[in-house]
Amino acid sequence: MSLGPLAPSQARVGWDVSFRSLLLLLVLPHVLPLRASAETSYPPVVPGHEIAFPRDEGSHPDFRIEWWYVTGQLDDATRKAKSPLGFQVTFFRVRTGLAADNPSSFAPRQVLFAHAAIADPATGQLHHAQRSARTGFDLAYAREGQLDVKLDDWSIRQVAPGRYVTAVHGEDFDFELTLASTQPPLLQGERGFSRKGPDPRAASYYYSLPQLAVTGAVTVGGSTRKVSGQAWFDHEWSSDYVDENALGWDWLGVNMTDGGALMAFRMRDRQGGERWAGATLRLPSPGGAGDVKFAGTGEVTTFGPEAVHWAPLQSWRSPRTGVTYPVQWRVQVGDRRYRVEPLLLDAELDSRPTTGILYWEGPIRLIDEATGQEAGRGYLELTGYGGKRG
Amino acid sequence: MSVAAQALPPGRNALRARLSLLDAAVVGPLRQAPGRTLLAVLAIALGVALGFAVYLINRVAADEVQGASRSLFGLADLTVQSPGSGFDESLFPRLLRVPGVAAASPVVEVQVRLPGRERNLKLLGIDPFRAMQLQPALAGAGASTERQGQGLLAENSIWLSPAAAQSLELEVGDDLDVQVALDRVRFRVAGILPPGAYSQPVGLLDIGEAQWRLQRLGRLDRIDLRLAPHADRPSVRNAIAALLPPGTQVVTPGEATDDAVRLTRAYRSNLTALALVALFTGAFLVYATQSLAVARRRREIALLHAMGMSVREQLAASLLAGTIVGALGAALGVILGALVARAGLASFGADLGAGYFRGVAPALNVSAGEYLVFFVLGAGAALVATFGPAREAASVPAAAALKAGDEAPMAPRTHGRIALALFAAGVLALALPPLEGIALPGYVAIACLLLGAVFLTPSIASTVFARLRTDGPAWRQVAVAQLRGTARRATVSIAAVLVSFSLMVAMAIMVFSFRMSLEAWMQRILPADLYVRAGSAAAGAYLDVNAQRSITALPEITRADFVKFQDVLLPGERLPLTIIARPIHEPTAGQVIPIRRSATGPAPQGAIPVWASEAALDLRGFDVGTEFDLPIGGRVVRATVRGIWRDYERPGGSIVMNRDTFIALSGERTATTAALWLREGTDAEEFSGRLRDAIARSGDYDVAIPGEIRQRSLALFDRTFAVTYLLEAVAVLIGLFGISASTSSQVLARRGEFGMLRHLGVTRREIGRMLAFEGAALGAIGVAAGLVVGAIVSMILIFVVNRQSFHWTMDVHVPWGLLAILSLVLVGAAAATAAFSGRRAMGEDVIRAVKEDW
Amino acid sequence: MLELHDVARSFGGPAGRRVLDGVALTVMPGEYVAIVGESGVGKSTLLNLIAGLDVPDSGQLLLEGRDLARLGEDERTQVRRTRMGFVFQAFHLLPHLSIARNVALPLALNGQAGRAADDRVMELLEAVGLGDRASSYPRELSGGESQRVAVARALAHRPALVLADEPTGNLDPDNAAMILEVLRAQIKRDNAAGILVTHSAAAAASTDRVYELTRAGLTLRP
Repeated sequence: MSLGPLAPSQARVGWDVSFRSLLLLLVLPHVLPLRASAETSYPPVVPGHEIAFPRDEGSHPDFRIEWWYVTGQLDDATRKAKSPLGFQVTFFRVRTGLAADNPSSFAPRQVLFAHAAIADPATGQLHHAQRSARTGFDLAYAREGQLDVKLDDWSIRQVAPGRYVTAVHGEDFDFELTLASTQPPLLQGERGFSRKGPDPRAASYYYSLPQLAVTGAVTVGGSTRKVSGQAWFDHEWSSDYVDENALGWDWLGVNMTDGGALMAFRMRDRQGGERWAGATLRLPSPGGAGDVKFAGTGEVTTFGPEAVHWAPLQSWRSPRTGVTYPVQWRVQVGDRRYRVEPLLLDAELDSRPTTGILYWEGPIRLIDEATGQEAGRGYLELTGYGGKRG
Repeated sequence: MSVAAQALPPGRNALRARLSLLDAAVVGPLRQAPGRTLLAVLAIALGVALGFAVYLINRVAADEVQGASRSLFGLADLTVQSPGSGFDESLFPRLLRVPGVAAASPVVEVQVRLPGRERNLKLLGIDPFRAMQLQPALAGAGASTERQGQGLLAENSIWLSPAAAQSLELEVGDDLDVQVALDRVRFRVAGILPPGAYSQPVGLLDIGEAQWRLQRLGRLDRIDLRLAPHADRPSVRNAIAALLPPGTQVVTPGEATDDAVRLTRAYRSNLTALALVALFTGAFLVYATQSLAVARRRREIALLHAMGMSVREQLAASLLAGTIVGALGAALGVILGALVARAGLASFGADLGAGYFRGVAPALNVSAGEYLVFFVLGAGAALVATFGPAREAASVPAAAALKAGDEAPMAPRTHGRIALALFAAGVLALALPPLEGIALPGYVAIACLLLGAVFLTPSIASTVFARLRTDGPAWRQVAVAQLRGTARRATVSIAAVLVSFSLMVAMAIMVFSFRMSLEAWMQRILPADLYVRAGSAAAGAYLDVNAQRSITALPEITRADFVKFQDVLLPGERLPLTIIARPIHEPTAGQVIPIRRSATGPAPQGAIPVWASEAALDLRGFDVGTEFDLPIGGRVVRATVRGIWRDYERPGGSIVMNRDTFIALSGERTATTAALWLREGTDAEEFSGRLRDAIARSGDYDVAIPGEIRQRSLALFDRTFAVTYLLEAVAVLIGLFGISASTSSQVLARRGEFGMLRHLGVTRREIGRMLAFEGAALGAIGVAAGLVVGAIVSMILIFVVNRQSFHWTMDVHVPWGLLAILSLVLVGAAAATAAFSGRRAMGEDVIRAVKEDW
Repeated sequence: MLELHDVARSFGGPAGRRVLDGVALTVMPGEYVAIVGESGVGKSTLLNLIAGLDVPDSGQLLLEGRDLARLGEDERTQVRRTRMGFVFQAFHLLPHLSIARNVALPLALNGQAGRAADDRVMELLEAVGLGDRASSYPRELSGGESQRVAVARALAHRPALVLADEPTGNLDPDNAAMILEVLRAQIKRDNAAGILVTHSAAAAASTDRVYELTRAGLTLRP
């Protein structure tokens, strides 16, 4: 998920990677050249660009990389299940810089990747799947102008202003969900210009849609259930490179119960120490407390590394890979202290044979330590615990 | 029972007795004539070795073709393919949208010529994102980092299978030039695939790159499909089939693999038949040596009888002796066979030089089971061959055989009826159609004929012997008497010669007829002064329009015929038919191709006139006047057969059509070869250099005068038949072994006789002459009968086996000179063998033999 | 006719075993002599020398005035073919030739065929009492009959010298006696010289003179 929301105060860190670009770095060498040919020029990310909706929800094919990333928690609409289902779906677009002159319909100028997962705390299982394809033949595309991305039978698109539909068909799960925005978009950084490092060129265009209302159907293990819930949507595009020194990070994004939104992260270096940390908190609108529909216009606070502290509480060791992930945390953001509790332990995604990535990504509850009450729900992402980046 | 015997446990006593009996009745005789035993062992070993080697080479070839074909398809459930021109890429998204299709991997497949290397390489243009879903090993390609180099999508980059990297001696980072049309296109080796991905030599590149750089824009050659787990396969297959343009088929990988294997089956089954002949001849020699051994050991056997050895024990002893010989020979044979197969594969490749499996890199792993089967086959053949002689041994009358001067009553038993029955069976077999494309009935007929001839040998022998003159020098009288008296033994030797020589004669006539017909055919098919060929099996090399134009523009050229070869799938068929598009017009068609039969009436309106090859006639029933649907350029046209022509190049069948018509239908303007007629007085050799300058392209192409092409083709022909020559030579060698074994065993039995003759004033030379005469007589009868039988077998080979296996006809040409020389050599060799085997009879010790009682 | 003067023969080189030494013997046409001796004393060697199958180391061996030792192998073979006849202990009839043709074999070897030859064969077969078995084959004969055929064969071409090596060794006394009688009669009839090598005193008794071969040489037994 996105380590995207990097406030300007953090930009000096020189750590300019997000998970997405890291993922691409690891995936692409198998099928893409590491460096594009010299003559390929990618447009720079510059401050002052006005992010417009719905135009900028669509693809920006000139930029090197772009991603659309949705995570959320779903409750069984018919049967009141004890624990919600977690879901994740991501579409990546990469401009390869290759085959500019190739007249073939198969010329690999744009490549799409997608990851999706259903985390079922009731069974403790994580179902995940992935797709990849070059664009072409109307089988795979990322359209410009408005959100419309398709990769064979996977897709995410806008069906009406503020309304999106995503469909995923994995080997052992399917879902088709409608996402409706309840709050205005949250432009990250300087009105959507999100710096990633001391070099001003290292930046991305970036916005989020927290507190999306989700309805739809999920099929797991052959049985289909109607679901509803909340989701967090990120969209980011850039042309930039990544920091070679980062080993991994810990990240969370939470839709707060009161209608607010919290994102917190920290980066670890190769020695395992903390390289950086940060958080963003958007409070619910003062007048509409408790009603998410009117939230989102509240105050946005950005916290620097001195104000964000991560302390692992409990670990889980993957029986498949032997990698140990700290899945329970105490996170302090400013003067707020939260406990992060995973809804299931085994949320490890091992796609090393195909994409080379090993990470943990699962649904969590955020407990306010002051009250002992649940403060929100969201997703936790842990990368780089397998010894390698990612 | 003696005290000593009581002291021993009875079991061990019995064992000792048995062992000593074994030594007397089984091992002793074998040891007593080590040379002959060795010969029999060698004969079986040779037979088994040849059979095993041919089997192994065949198996490896089939495995390779199958494995290579199989690895191409990965996990595909179905594959859509079109040999030859391929199909439009728009089929790809349509197939992927067919309900029940889970994954589809489009492939551009081009056999390219590698300029400067005189070989071809199969290039596969794939979409790695799609291919990974069907070919998991490709995903692993990324994981093996040290071999990784660059990604597959990179421009100008090519990944090689390990087999290709090895055979081309290329490493990551090296350049690889491939030929497209007449130009060189340079790729960089970006990586080596993991061994699991493709077993045969292939180069892998991105499909977009392949379409562009290999001049295949908009075209695909194959789409591999994986179906959803619960899809109803037949209905999905039908839905796919409904979408396919003409000339495109949907098959399972198994079917496609079978097709690939079937292409070479005729060649392989012919080789197997020859190998079986070798084993048969080997078994025959065991029979010969064993029956001669029985004759030689008559008194010994009688003595054992007299001493109380039962008939059953004697039978067992003889069979055991045969089994020992067989087991030794078979053991030696399987080892030898594996070695021969290994050597053969290493030096010729899996097709033994016939050119069927180009680009296949064979590896040989022999399983214990295979060793066992051929061991048992060899030992079994020896055992069966021993059975007759063993029964004879068991029935030796003790009293008579012990009497001095006794000889077995050797009047030959004639089997005229069995022989006639076998001949009749052979004729009946000839009336049967081939079995799944294999000329099995033809082989059965040949086997019947050979066996029948063997059974007829006693009658032939006694007839001939009765007619031999009994006057003349004493040595000849003795020789003739000896031949008559030992006619039954003689028939064994004669039959051995007959069988092996008739096969040699048959092959000689067949091969000679084929070679002469081929030569005459090439004279007809190559009428021009000069030929330009872009590539043989490589579809990637061709004469594009530019090249054609530069050629035609040369003032020295008075006429240029461009020829295009294009494979096409007829509706409902699995094996492609070759279209040969060249300038041809109905009234003068006979001047362009060797036409066997022509249509007389006018061609039906609206149908395209074509000329079908004999193979097309045999396989598809394309006779003169036949009309059929012909898919060209994605649509179907009606074609009518205007004549049948002889085509030795394409056993899968071909049709010739006018190139203008072909271009109009397909839009395909490229050509594979050009036939050029030069202005009077132009020197072809010298002109070919100027032609190259005029074409001025960087790729490889051949410019050859017809003489060179003929020479090369005949050289290839001879190489193909080299293996059969080898097999025949071995069969004849085994036949000579028979004469040698027969003579040398008789020489031992006749030592007393020779001693007596020497006393009577017969010179050593005369004894040698006598033996040579006997050998020559046996050889001559075998050779004469072999000539007759061989001639008949050759007719079966020419008119039945070849026709059914390869679908080509030939004119009969008898190599009289060769046959005469072979006959003389064989008779001479028989005489020499006999005389040589009898050299002991000329030694001084034979004089003392008059003292011996046996 | 046959003269041996001081004949010596040894085997195994100069230092080898001397088998015969100083053997002297003369047999005239019509004479029939026996040579007896213990086993291993050199009877076979002596017989081979006389037959021209072997040559003496020293001494003379004259047949009809010609020294066999000086003749080449082919010439000696020629001498055997034309001037000698043999009778063996094991008969050695050719199994695939009829009785008549077995007897005719020496004639054939000497290029004689046709009426005269046939008459000669019949004459001999009558003489040995097998005139009615001419077209039989050896395997149909008893041992005695076989040896009678062999005697007929030995005399067929009217040899100057008939050599018989234990001709009765394989026969019972009755048959042996008959053979000895036939042999003697035929030798005498053709005025040939005859040498009988034997162990048997009875056989030796059927000859004109008996020589004994010992280490010391050949001595006439009184």
